Amino acid sequence: MADALSEASDLSGGEESQDEDVLTPPELIARLEEAWLNEKFSPELLENKSELVECVMEQLTHMEENLQRVKKGDLKASIHRMEIDRIRFVLSSFLRSRLQKIEKFFPHVLEKEKSRADGDPSFLSPEEFAFAKEYLANTEVYLKAVALRHMPPNLQSVDMLKAVPEPCLDSFVFLRVKERQENILVEPETDDQRDYVVDLEEGSQHLMRYRTIAPLVSSGAVQLI
Amino acid sequence: MDTQSYMPVPPGVGMEENFLSLDDILLSHERLPCKTDTSFPKLGFLEKTSESHDIPENTKMEMPLWMAKGLYERKRHVISVDLPKVYREGWRTVFGADANMVDLHKMGPYYYGLGSQILHFENAENPEIAQSILQTFIGRFRRTMDSSQNAYNEDMSALLERLDCLERALFRSGQNGLNAFQLWERGRASQLTASSLVTNYRKRKITELHS
Amino acid sequence: MDPSEVEFLAEKEMVKIIPNFSLDKIYLIGGDLGPFNPGLTVEVPVWLALNLKQRQKCRIVPPEWMDADKLEEIREQERREDTFTPIPSLHYMELTKLLLNHAADNIPRADEIRTLVKDIWDTRIAKLRLSADSFINQQEAHARLDNLTLMEINTTRTFLLDSLNCMYKLRSNLQPGSGSGKAHDY
Repeated sequence: MADALSEASDLSGGEESQDEDVLTPPELIARLEEAWLNEKFSPELLENKSELVECVMEQLTHMEENLQRVKKGDLKASIHRMEIDRIRFVLSSFLRSRLQKIEKFFPHVLEKEKSRADGDPSFLSPEEFAFAKEYLANTEVYLKAVALRHMPPNLQSVDMLKAVPEPCLDSFVFLRVKERQENILVEPETDDQRDYVVDLEEGSQHLMRYRTIAPLVSSGAVQLI
Repeated sequence: MDTQSYMPVPPGVGMEENFLSLDDILLSHERLPCKTDTSFPKLGFLEKTSESHDIPENTKMEMPLWMAKGLYERKRHVISVDLPKVYREGWRTVFGADANMVDLHKMGPYYYGLGSQILHFENAENPEIAQSILQTFIGRFRRTMDSSQNAYNEDMSALLERLDCLERALFRSGQNGLNAFQLWERGRASQLTASSLVTNYRKRKITELHS
Repeated sequence: MDPSEVEFLAEKEMVKIIPNFSLDKIYLIGGDLGPFNPGLTVEVPVWLALNLKQRQKCRIVPPEWMDADKLEEIREQERREDTFTPIPSLHYMELTKLLLNHAADNIPRADEIRTLVKDIWDTRIAKLRLSADSFINQQEAHARLDNLTLMEINTTRTFLLDSLNCMYKLRSNLQPGSGSGKAHDY
């Protein structure tokens, strides 16, 4: 049994060769946790992490298959199961917080997807895209059924892009710096203040506007907390 | 958990309104003192104080915000909107002296929301109004925060009654944070309670239509 | 974020245990653990330590900082200084709760520790409130918050961020025309 389980450590995606950085399973889990917190705390929907999610799923499936061969009550197996449960929790919480944002911002999410240049990566996974479209359709049907069809003909439509608030990129966020950044421009809050630059030292924590550091979140240089 | 099945659309705050926000819908029904700058034929039935068929020019009347916004135009004079007294200079001086003294619920209850909306109507005092609202918020922040953090388990109704709707929402989110922490601390984080339903309940003052 | 999720993150912290069983190295997805030998100290994540402890399979060695004398020093320093002092663990609150609730018999002077940590927490939260107020008052655009822990941030997060958002919007009233373009006609 020990062999069956120890295999798990070296299946770090040898076939994922086209991906520049091949991650070890522990790195994979660390990435997932970072993505989870970033998604939880960023005001807008971040780029989808389908590949990461798939890799983690593969790890989990593989481990679960191995565990099926182990008899119940085995201490080692129970430890593996606990770990699987923890990873699953993070994974579902991550995906759920993405769905919540899609529900909250669906017209804008779809608009962004529509205006995306051909080569650019999509912010939505194929499943999320389908979900967003369905959510929009259902909302429209619902509004029509309960209210709009009773309105005068010229008031029977609602522009969802205007009706649903956009994500507020000027929200403040808490963050921890992972890679040192120099000369981050902090815009003034009031007319009598001047803009100034700050250096973000590795390991330091800050409270500032999301807009200022949004690119650093997607590059992984800072972690939202 | 902070996962909710129903996520209400928050109020827009400031000059923008959120179409699907219940708070903003209520706000849009707040009444403003207006004066007609032209006559409104055949609409006399809306103005119950007079028996005439039309609403003549120069009639003073109260109008909900949504209607005033719809009728108002900068170039053509259809209606002019008067400042509610809480935004006038006299009250601005009071707020400037000590914003904490004021019962913003009685004076509002949408003091910040309505004050921001009023800026849609041209008025020489608009910059001062905008500044006064902002400073009032800042001046009262400490008290809103402290009461939402310290006063857990104490009777906060007296203070809560004096908060504007926006401040109440903030007060509530402050209490929720503290509440969640204290439940966690006592090891009851996973238990569901109905308390938010009770605290969400809010009395609304209905402004009198006629005097 | 729910405090239980912050606790979940704290459970990843490593802690020393002394097992009373033997087991080969375990190859978890998140990294290797063990081997486990009776009486020999080994490091495991807190979630596993607590589980083994509940099954009476180990004794937990409290982290070095979880010591009444050390915490008393920290408390005094925290009270003396106006800024947030560096805390020995970014999860001090969660770890204290977890270890004291599930392994108090392995921790000397557990009750004192509980009180000390609570005092430290209260002092720090009071400072946090003070800095939040000055951040709002000065209408600052950036604050450095080293040493603040996730649990501390989390208790005031929604309130502070919502307040800052409201303030931002009330301030944008000062520049008429900035946001009024799309306010009408849905």
